[in-house]
Amino acid sequence: MATDPGAIDGAFYEALRRHYSEEEIVELGTFIGFNIGYHTFFGTLKFYPMFAPDGRLVTQEESARIYGDAPVSLAGTVVQAR
Amino acid sequence: MTHIAPIAREAIHDATVAALVERAETLGVPGSSFALVLARMPTYAKAVLEAMMRSHFEGAVDHELKEIIRILLAGQAGSRYFGNLRSVPAAQAGLDERAISAGCEDYERNPRFSTKQKLALRYADQMYLNPTSVDAAFYAELKQHYSEAEIMELGAFIALHYGMQVFMRTLETAAAPGESR
Repeated sequence: MATDPGAIDGAFYEALRRHYSEEEIVELGTFIGFNIGYHTFFGTLKFYPMFAPDGRLVTQEESARIYGDAPVSLAGTVVQAR
Repeated sequence: MTHIAPIAREAIHDATVAALVERAETLGVPGSSFALVLARMPTYAKAVLEAMMRSHFEGAVDHELKEIIRILLAGQAGSRYFGNLRSVPAAQAGLDERAISAGCEDYERNPRFSTKQKLALRYADQMYLNPTSVDAAFYAELKQHYSEAEIMELGAFIALHYGMQVFMRTLETAAAPGESR
């Protein structure tokens, strides 16, 4: 959904239905859509991850030192719909 | 049509969800079909529908400008359903298709939009196509025209509506809800 929404087609939803109820699929889709929207927005705000790769809770300043100028939430989340 | 069918209205047993679905239809956005899909998951429907309508129809930023932004984003997300929806209050206030088209096309060179409006349109336009361009310099420029509260209002509106549009895009079959083909 984040990088290739065109791949989420009728066949994919059929495959999902074999493992999830329709309620669960709506829950998943809403959750994913919410995260697609907000991760990129937060990325533009320089809102850095709260945790270091080793799982430690870190300050925004330390996180900025760890993750650099390009927050990871910007990577690979752009939908190429056009 | 959608890959997950909208739930029948008579199958909604939560009065709050039923009221939100009706409001979504009356206001035109997010419309009844999306609301009825979400209604399959009532706890999410309550939170998301309320947030979508509050972020679009309330706040300090001009609603008509947000309606143009919403339609611009629907084009990027590839959601025919959301691209075809129109805000009833915005239409009643005079927002027409020419203004919407102008905002979704070359708005930067269109004199009908003020510098302030163009900045909001650029904020939405670049957020997902080129997020690295929405940098500190861009936020500094935004702050010359919008309060920080207004910037958060715009950013949260853009993020929520775009995210739901991408989800809806994946649900849409060859003929989106409301389309005859």
